Amino acid sequence: MDILSSLAMGFSSALTPINLMWGFIGCLLGTAIGVLPGIGPALTVALLLPITAKVDPTGALIMFAGIYYGAQFGGSTTSILLNTPGESSSMVTALEGNLMARNGRAGPALATAAIGSFVAGTIATVLLTLFAPIVARLALNFGPTEYFAILVLSFTTVSAVLGASMLRGFASLGVGLTIGLIGLDSTSGIARYTLGVPELVDGIEVVLVAVGLFAVGEALYSLLYQTEANEGRHRLTSLWMTRADWKRSVPAWLRGTLIGFPFGSIPAGGAEIPTFLSYSTERKLSKYPQEFSANKGEGAIEGVAGPEAANNASATGSLVPLLTLGIPTSATAAILLAAFQNYNLQPGPMLFETSADLVWTLVASLYIGNVILLVLNLPLVGLWVKLLQIPRPYLNAGILVFATIGVYGMRHSSFDLLLMLAIGWGGVLMRRFDFPVAPVIVGMLLGPMAEKQLRNALSIGEGDWTVFLTQPISAFFLALTLLVLVVPHVLHKRGIKLHEDD
Amino acid sequence: MATQRAVVPTQLAVGIGLIAISVILAMGAYRFPPEMGFVILPAYVYPYVVAAFLGGVGLLLSYQALSGGFRELGNDDTGTVPGGKAGAAWVTAGLVGVALLINLIGFVLAAGLLFACSARGFGSRHPVRDLAIGIALTLPIYWLFNAGLGVSLPSLINIWL
Repeated sequence: MDILSSLAMGFSSALTPINLMWGFIGCLLGTAIGVLPGIGPALTVALLLPITAKVDPTGALIMFAGIYYGAQFGGSTTSILLNTPGESSSMVTALEGNLMARNGRAGPALATAAIGSFVAGTIATVLLTLFAPIVARLALNFGPTEYFAILVLSFTTVSAVLGASMLRGFASLGVGLTIGLIGLDSTSGIARYTLGVPELVDGIEVVLVAVGLFAVGEALYSLLYQTEANEGRHRLTSLWMTRADWKRSVPAWLRGTLIGFPFGSIPAGGAEIPTFLSYSTERKLSKYPQEFSANKGEGAIEGVAGPEAANNASATGSLVPLLTLGIPTSATAAILLAAFQNYNLQPGPMLFETSADLVWTLVASLYIGNVILLVLNLPLVGLWVKLLQIPRPYLNAGILVFATIGVYGMRHSSFDLLLMLAIGWGGVLMRRFDFPVAPVIVGMLLGPMAEKQLRNALSIGEGDWTVFLTQPISAFFLALTLLVLVVPHVLHKRGIKLHEDD
Repeated sequence: MATQRAVVPTQLAVGIGLIAISVILAMGAYRFPPEMGFVILPAYVYPYVVAAFLGGVGLLLSYQALSGGFRELGNDDTGTVPGGKAGAAWVTAGLVGVALLINLIGFVLAAGLLFACSARGFGSRHPVRDLAIGIALTLPIYWLFNAGLGVSLPSLINIWL
C-alpha cells in the first residue's frame, strides 16, 4: 500500500469524534504540564498508563502522543515569561526569550515559539510519514543479532550523550540495567534478585521508577537544594509579529527543523543537542548579533525561533526509532514504549504490517495535534499563564498525591509506595551528583530485551559470540557505538555542554 | 567547589555504593539454582555482565572522588536551602504515612493527609485548610482513576470509620 492511501486511511480514523477528543485531551494536558514546573511528559504519561486497561490502543496512544509534543509547546511559555524552563529542553528559549520579554517583547517571542513549533512539528511529521515506512522495511531484515547491536548502540548513546559526564551516564545505565534484572527470568524461570519479597517477582514497574524519580525525587530535590526563583513574571504584550520578525523567524524555523529531526530520529537521546546546535547556528548566521544575550542585547528573535523549532522537530523525530525499531531515545519515549507493551503491541518493523491502521492513525493524529496545539497556545496563552498562579505548596502537594494514587492503584501495595519513596531519595542523590535520569528508565526497559535478543542471536549462531562482528549490519552498529563513545569527547573539547531531556 | 586532589567523601560513598551493588549482583548470580537441559545462555551470564559493568563504573567514580571529585559537576552549589531538610522530612513523613495508613483509614483521608504534609513541607502554614483542600482534590482524582481510568481504588473511607 502506498503512503498516501495509508495516510488517508489514518486521517479518516483520526478524525472520528472519539479520537479527536483523545487528541484534544492529550494536547490540553500536554500544554498544561509543559507550562507547570515540576511535572513533565514522562511522569504524566506514566501516571496515565492505567488507562491502557480501559481505552482502546488508538485513543490512548493518540492522547499520549499529544501529551508528549504538547509539553514541548507549553514549555516555551514558562521559559519566556518566567525564565524557569518548564522542560529542560527549552533552556535556550529561556535565555533569549526571557530577555525579549524583559524588554517588552514577550508577545512576539511567544508567537514565534508557537508558530515555529507548529511549522517544525508539521514538517517533521511529513518527514516521519516519508521515512518511517522506509526504515521499517529495512528493519524487517533485522534478526536478533542486529537487534542486539542496535540495543547496545542505544544504551551507549542514551548514556554517553546526555549529561556532563559519560561515566556518570554509564552509572545511571548500570542502575537501570540492575533494576531490569529484578524479577522472573522468562527463559529459565529463575526468580532473580527478589530477596524473598513476593512483590518483586513480577519485576519493578517502569511507572513506579518514573514516578519515584520524576515526582518524588524532583519534589525532595527542589525542597533541599533549589531556592525559589522569584524574578517576577513578565507582562504579556501583543502577540503581533512585525514584518521584520517574520522575515527573521521563517529561515530560523526551517533551519531548526532540519537540525532537530535527524537528531531526534537517531538514537542519540533528547532534544538538548539539537536545540543548542540550532541556537549556536542562529547566532552565527544572524545579521543582528548585537541583540543576542551573550552580547548584552535585547534578545534576538532567531534565538527563540530556531531552538523551539528544533525542539519540536526532534520530539517528532524520536518517534521514528520508537515506531520502526521499538527503541526509545528519551525517558518519555521509553514510557510510550511501555504503553505499547501494555497492549501486547511490540513497536518495530512488524508494527507497520500487523497494526498498520494504528500506526497511520497515530501519524495522522500528529498532523491534527499540531493544529490543535497552535490554536490552544496562541490565542489562549493568557489562560495558561494563569496556571502559574497555583501556589507552590499546592502544586507540589497535588503532584505527590497524583503520583501516590497512580502507584498505589497498580496493585494496592504499600510496599510499592515505600519503594517509590526510596527511589525518590535515590533520585535526589542522582540529581545532587549530576547523574542523568533517562538512562535508568531506558536501561530498565531495554535491559531484559537485550538479554532476550542476545539469547536468540546465540542460539541462531550456535553459541558463536563472533556473529556480532561477522554479520555486516550488526558490525556496522557496533562500529557506530564506538564512534558515539568518541564524538562527545570531541564536542566536549569544543565547549559544547549537553544536558538531559526528560 | 572541591579543591584539586582533594578527597570528596560523599562522592566516594556513591562510588563504593555502586561497587557494593555490583558485588551483591555477582554473589546473587553465583547462587542461582542450576538449570536443566541444554542451555544456550544460562541465567547468570547477563547479570554477571551487568555486575562487571557497574563495578567498573563504580571503581572509576571512586577514583574520581579520591582525586579531586567527580568531573564536570554541573551543580557546585554546596549545602542545602535553609529549612529544606525540614521540608523534605515533612514530605517523606507524608509518604510513609500514606503507605502505612492507606489500608487502615481509607483512600481519601490518607491522600488528604499526604497533601497537608507535603504542603507543609513546601511552606504552607494552614494545616486545616490544606487538609480540606487535599480531601476536596482527592475526590475528583478518585472519580477520575476509578471511573475514568478503570483503576479500582480501595474504598473512600473504611467502613469501620
